[in-house]
Amino acid sequence: MITLTNLSKIFRTELIETHALRDINLQVNEGEFAALTGPSGSGKSTLLNILGTLENFDSGDYQLDGKSVKGLSDAALSRLRNEKIGFIFQSFNLIKDFSIYDNIELPLRYRGLKVAERKQRIDNALELVGLHARRNYLPGQLSGGQQQRVAIARAIAGEPRILLADEPTGNLDSLMARQVMELLEQINQRGCTILMVTHDPEQARRAGRHIQIIDGQLHDSMLYQPMATATVRAQAVAQGV
Amino acid sequence: MDNLLHSFSLAVRNIKRAPLPYLLTILILSLGLGMFFSNATLYYWLNHDPLPHKSHSLFYPQINATLQPCDTCTSPTRVLSYQDVKKLSSSGIPSAQAAMFQSAGYARLPGKTDQSPTPVRLRVTQRDFFSLFDVPFLHGQRWADNTARRELIVSKATAERFFGRSNVVGETLQLGNELFTISGVLQDWDMLPRLYDVANGLASSQSADIYLPWETAYDLGIKSNTTTMSRDSRDYSENFAVNGREGDFYQAQFWVQLDSPEQVAAYQQFMQQLVQSEKAAGRHPRPEANRLTNILDITAHFNARNRQLDAFALVSLLFLLVCLFNASHLSLNRYLASQYEFGLRRALGCSRGQLQQLILADVAVSACLALVLSLAVAAAAMTLISSLLPATRNLTSWNPVMVITMAGTALIACYLVTLYPALRASFGSLNRQLK
Repeated sequence: MITLTNLSKIFRTELIETHALRDINLQVNEGEFAALTGPSGSGKSTLLNILGTLENFDSGDYQLDGKSVKGLSDAALSRLRNEKIGFIFQSFNLIKDFSIYDNIELPLRYRGLKVAERKQRIDNALELVGLHARRNYLPGQLSGGQQQRVAIARAIAGEPRILLADEPTGNLDSLMARQVMELLEQINQRGCTILMVTHDPEQARRAGRHIQIIDGQLHDSMLYQPMATATVRAQAVAQGV
Repeated sequence: MDNLLHSFSLAVRNIKRAPLPYLLTILILSLGLGMFFSNATLYYWLNHDPLPHKSHSLFYPQINATLQPCDTCTSPTRVLSYQDVKKLSSSGIPSAQAAMFQSAGYARLPGKTDQSPTPVRLRVTQRDFFSLFDVPFLHGQRWADNTARRELIVSKATAERFFGRSNVVGETLQLGNELFTISGVLQDWDMLPRLYDVANGLASSQSADIYLPWETAYDLGIKSNTTTMSRDSRDYSENFAVNGREGDFYQAQFWVQLDSPEQVAAYQQFMQQLVQSEKAAGRHPRPEANRLTNILDITAHFNARNRQLDAFALVSLLFLLVCLFNASHLSLNRYLASQYEFGLRRALGCSRGQLQQLILADVAVSACLALVLSLAVAAAAMTLISSLLPATRNLTSWNPVMVITMAGTALIACYLVTLYPALRASFGSLNRQLK
């Protein structure tokens, strides 16, 4: 589903060139739940941003569903983000003076869906995250965990094929973090591919695949860890592994 | 439609988010636009063509016929004498021609001796005045010919002021000590700018209350209350009916309608022949300096441009530029504060085009507010300018085309103010604000 070939990213200033990512080769299959780990500044978020087409890369290739994203127009990239990719951020990134409903509606509007279809999808997403009763609340009226669930609802309302989560539990206490992780697992079991940046080894372990980045390079030993599909991982969880 | 309404509701919501910076931006913009609109309004009225369908055919002839010899005097007088008018009227070439001057008097209803006479603005003129400048009649008609007659044509407002109604044809009005019959009532009419009176610097004055026949005015000794010149030793306060007609007394403006280039050429030739015959008769001692000036060139011809208004216009334009710059700076701050939200929207799939749609809705709402506020500022500024420059008092109205133009200008100004911030927002890095 996602294929990165010799992908590199360099940040340049007048004096310094920083190689954020070097010759990344990565294959992520449909339905995988992969954790991206690594020390701060190793390039995890940069990789996630490139996967989400929020950032350009300097060399190599990125293919999504067999098609290179290189050279796509702004409109095509926007459509790709809107239809295929869902984002979950550490800081939730909800618009504070929009109701929960309006926040979730935002990406659906950009897709040009009719009112009835938007409503149906928002209702479904809110049911999934258990916040349907609070659809008219403002984000500030919800706890951190609830806000992240709203952000997840916004990400999945468009039924994307990939969820990119950048430390989704970074701002949550352990109980809420666990609830969010369970929600992500539930979404993954429905077939959605998830790539999640995390610092938490426990959460990385819960993901089926563990990809480690150090100094902008994939760590080989972790890269070739056997990939677990949603089914395999569900079995592992059931067995208490 | 749904998305359009959504864009406008977001624009309104943006105001609520930071009302103070927003209102400050609009206020600065409105001040600049208001000052600009007020001056543009005066500028428009003073420079627009009041008779676009026939202005090309209206001309002001002048000959350098002053009787005192002067070899270096190569500019004809601004106004003509009775004899000049008579000679220039004899060509038979123009399709219409009329001499005129402005005067003033006192009028009242006959028999109402207990009432104080009311001051009135007079225009002494000939029958073609009304066809030359397309003056519309409400009741009655223009004079049958240019002979002296005790008949007045009055404005609708004058009819209503004296009689309480507009149809007063056949009624009698006392002007000075003389009784006149009213033969016509004009529709509400004002020619702006009043180019036929530029020679007297009265382009922005109101039209007359009462129109008096040319020959009758000479019979009654009524003179111009603007430009008059006499170049001989006659006593024009005595027996004006004779002296005014025969003497070297200058007060008349004279307009002709020449509908084709051939008529213009023929009239120029007529003026040349007239001057030659006058010279031959010893009545044109000065150098030949004939002028035939089109009505649209008359302001420049008489150097009657209002330089104060030009200066005001320049200052208001510079002020608008300063306001645009400041409003743009405020707008940039406002947009930079929303950069995070723009980034988020882009991450969620909003294209640059869709983002521009949101920004345009923001611009449209801002333009509406700025237009209303700037019109209020403009109205206040025009009141101030009118009090400082009384000659501009009649130039302060707006017609629908002007309002639409001002709305367009407000929209463009708001877009200019938003353009740079909008580009920054649209092309900024997507991931920088999102964590």
